[in-house]
Order: sequence, then C-alpha cells, then structure tokens
Amino acid sequence: MDGAGGQPAGAAVRRVPVIAGLAMLLAVLLALGLLTGAAGFGVPDATILWQLRLPRTALAALVGAGLGLSGAVLQGALRNPLADPGLLGIGGCASLGAVAAFYWGISAAFAPALPLAGLAGAALGSAALLAMAGRAPAGPSLILAGVALSALAAALLAMALALAPNPFALAEITFWLMGGLADRSLLHLALAAPPIALGCALLLRLGGRLDALALGEEVAASLGAPAGRTLLLAAVGVALVVGAGTAVAGGIGFVGLVVPHLLRPALGERPGAILAPSLLAGAALLLAADLLARSLPLLLPLSAEPPLGVLTALLGAPFLVRIARRMAA
Amino acid sequence: MRRVAAALLAALFLVTPYLVTPARAERVVSLNLCTDQYLVLLAPEQVAGLTMLARDPSLSVVAAAAARLPVVRADAEAVLALRPDLVLAAPWGAQATLAALERQGVRVVRSTLPRDFPAIRAETARLAALLGEPARGAALLARMDARLTAVPAGTHTSALWLAPRGYTQGPRSLEAAALRAAGLASAGQGRQLGLEALLAHPPALLVVARAPRYPSLATDLLTHPALAALPRRTVPPALLACGGPWTARAVSLLARP
Repeated sequence: MDGAGGQPAGAAVRRVPVIAGLAMLLAVLLALGLLTGAAGFGVPDATILWQLRLPRTALAALVGAGLGLSGAVLQGALRNPLADPGLLGIGGCASLGAVAAFYWGISAAFAPALPLAGLAGAALGSAALLAMAGRAPAGPSLILAGVALSALAAALLAMALALAPNPFALAEITFWLMGGLADRSLLHLALAAPPIALGCALLLRLGGRLDALALGEEVAASLGAPAGRTLLLAAVGVALVVGAGTAVAGGIGFVGLVVPHLLRPALGERPGAILAPSLLAGAALLLAADLLARSLPLLLPLSAEPPLGVLTALLGAPFLVRIARRMAA
Repeated sequence: MRRVAAALLAALFLVTPYLVTPARAERVVSLNLCTDQYLVLLAPEQVAGLTMLARDPSLSVVAAAAARLPVVRADAEAVLALRPDLVLAAPWGAQATLAALERQGVRVVRSTLPRDFPAIRAETARLAALLGEPARGAALLARMDARLTAVPAGTHTSALWLAPRGYTQGPRSLEAAALRAAGLASAGQGRQLGLEALLAHPPALLVVARAPRYPSLATDLLTHPALAALPRRTVPPALLACGGPWTARAVSLLARP
C-alpha cells in the first residue's frame, strides 16, 4: 500500500454521500432486526421485542461496528491489508479469556468478569502481536505471527474447554470459535456496550495519526505522531472492542478484514478516511449476516440457526481470495 | 474305596453351585453414568470401576456412595488393569473400547437405557438378575411403584419440558413419561426451540431441570429473563439424567400441588 498516493480523484467528495448511504442502510437493517425473528415477521409482543430482539439487534450492530472499525485501524496501523482482529489471533485470545471466566464460574458470581476477561485476553494478544510488529513492521512475518497466535489460542481454547469443570463444555466450542447472537439478553448488551463504545471512540480519533503513519514512520514522528504511540493506542482500542464483543458474541471472523476492502474502491486508500465508514459498514454487515442467520431456519428445514461466524466467513472467504489475487498481480 | 467316594461327593458338593448358576460377576466395571447408578444401587460390593460422572451430584443419584468407590476412564487398558469379569455400558459411546475389551475376552453387557416406567421395571429386573441381586431389584421397584401410585389425579395442564440448549422433550422421552406419570400433558415435540419460538406459543407450565453447579451456555438459556413470566417448576437434573427407579422421585416433585 502506498498510503495517500493511491487516492482516486473525488474520493474526499464521495465520503459524505457514502456515510449518509451507510447510515440509512444501517437504519433499515436495525428496523428489520426488530421486526424479524422465529415468531414471524412483524412487531411481536413486548417480551420478545425488548428481551430478545432488542439485545440481539443492538449487539449485532455494536459488535459489527467494533469489528469493522478494528479492521480498518489495524490495516492502517500495521500497514498490512490482511490485518484483522480474527486473523491476527486477537479474537481467539479474547475467546480464551472469556471461556476461562465463564466455565470456571467467575462470571456467574460476578457478571462483569466476562467482558473483563475477554478484554484481558484481547489485550494480551494485541500486546504479543505489537511486540512483534515493533521489530518487523509491515512484513509478512506479522501475519505469520498472527496465524500462529490464532492457532495457539484455538488450541488453548479447546484445552480449556476440555479441562473445564463442566463435562459438556467442549460441546460449546462452536460458539467460542464461530460466534452467535441467538437468545442473548439485555445483560449481555449492558456488559458489552460500554467497553465497545469506549474503544470505538478511541479508535475513531486515530485517523490523523494513521494518515501520518501512511507517509512513513519518520514523517509521522516529525508530524508529532510517533508510530509506537499510534500502535499502542490502536492496540488498546482494539482490545476494548474485540475483547468485550467476543465475550458476548463469540469469535466472529472476517468482518474486520472485509469491510475496509469493500470501502476503499469508493473512498480511496487514505486510512483516516475509512474509519467512520468502516464502523457503519461493519455494523451493517454483521446485522445483515445475523438477519440471514435468523431467517434461514424460517426458509429452510434447519434444526437450528447457522453460527454467525460461518455466515461471515462464507461472505469473507471469497474476498480474501480476491485480495490474494490482486496482491499477486 | 469309601474314602474316594466321599471325596468325590465332597468335590461334587463344592462344584455344584457353579454348574447350576453361571458364576456371579465379582468385579464389575461400568462405563456409563446410567449403568453406574444401577450398579451402585444393586451391587455396590461388586464395583470395580465407575465413570467420573457418577460422583457428580448434579448428574448422579449415587454421588455420595460413588465418592467412596473407584472410578475409571473409558479406556481399554485402564479397564483391563482392573481385571473385570463384567463390563456394563450403553448401546452407544466408547464402542471401540468395548470392542477391544470383548476381543480380550471380557463379558460386555449393554444396557437399554429405559425411557419409560415399564422399561425401567424390565431393565431393573434384568440387571438385578445379572448381578445376582434379584431381591434388591424387587425392593427398588416396590419403592418406585409406591411413589407412582401415591400421585394424585392429574390436571393435564400443558407442560413443556425445556432442556439445556433449548431442546424440548419429545413424546417418547423419559421426561414426557415423567410428566404423564405426574398427571401433566407433555407439549414438547423434541425439536430445538429458540426462546422466541417458545414465547410465540407459550405453554401453561415450563418444566426445567435445575441448572447444575457448573455454568454453560446451554443452561444459561433456561435462566434468560424473557422466560421469567412463565410459571415454572424445577426438578433436580440427576433424577432424569438416566431412567431408573429414582425417576419416580421426579414424578412426585412434578405432581405436588
């Protein structure tokens, strides 16, 4: 990526209509989210609406927003188009933390332990990655390290579930690896919303620093935005967003990877320009995937909803192939 | 000559019990939670190994007794080391282990895991005879039948048995049999229901097993606040983890006014 040099003409002009369009799309999807469910399409009774559809819809939007924004910030901060919290193993580490708190009964005694442990896992994962990124910036070694961290986190997750006091815990590995929002409650929303909102607020303010970093580390330092500090702020923001999101929705991949790539053709390569649009597009994408997850059992003879991460991966994998092709060309 | 005849007679006298009845198993290993419970109730003296699950009070009605008895993993080598003359197991699970044990000449008996009270009667009698304790089997069944006949006339209220992960219990399940024995009508169709689908057609009574002591996403579902408004009755999960004479205690709990 060559930073600001790849800006197509008129990209800046297009930003406002793109944001407006995404906001409208998001509003439509939010409304559909409140109107769609197993009880049928339409306004349901109060319990279903407030206790089931509202937390589910709000969580899809919040978690998706956080993942989309995290992907955009990580791709800018690490100057690598493959950076994504899931692919780099930060999501896996968050799952690991949440699993430890959940199955050992800590979150049953003290509910906020669930997002806090997810956060701690995500923070450890990002710290490990950034330590490596500091040594070999932008290189393929970082992605390699992320894939290794991701595999390690998945292995430790399976180990933790197998060793959990609950003899059936391993059966729930699907949720922690592939995510889901079925039957989440208002408590989950209350636990996850504050860290995600805080993390998003922090990440949204990194636009200027990311633009400076795109010009090179020395230029960024001379502009008063040293790379180290940008990476640190990005890591804190991503840990807040991904840690809390994973703790209540499980491991949802590909949203952070795909969303920035969807937006760049319209908005250009400047990292700061795609932050707010990535937030909106991430929310819209995960909401759309969750709407699909809810609708499929109504349309097909399925015994249960497909895991959310399966749908985002089905959507994301072809994009990964497209990016790989473009990089090879 | 007379001495030889006396010796032969004595030998015959000693051997006869073994010729008439097959040798009673002295060292029995159980590789399934359900057979664990039958074995401990019918013949605790013969236990050579139980599963770990037998010690879990949220799954097993013999947890206290099992805590003092040996446990073994479903692993052919570990089981053979106990030199069992009988292994009790379920019709499914650990089949490779059971096949390996049978190749080594160990007698393996698979329990049918009963799903209603006539089947519980038959299985209790069969296992009691197998373990050489028919009198204990009869006593367990007598206590079970006393509990079942003490149940007052039913109301046929529509009751939905909601299991972890949102499964509902189908008409031929042990849970449905317990509901019917308690005079309730089982509304479950055996499908996995999301909470929204459940609340769209709510039952008159929600029946759930009390959550075990360890947390899981599957049992979290049962305490979701959206279900708080439905009348609910809870049963200790160990009474229905397996069908057995103890299941009658769940019927008494369900039938209370």
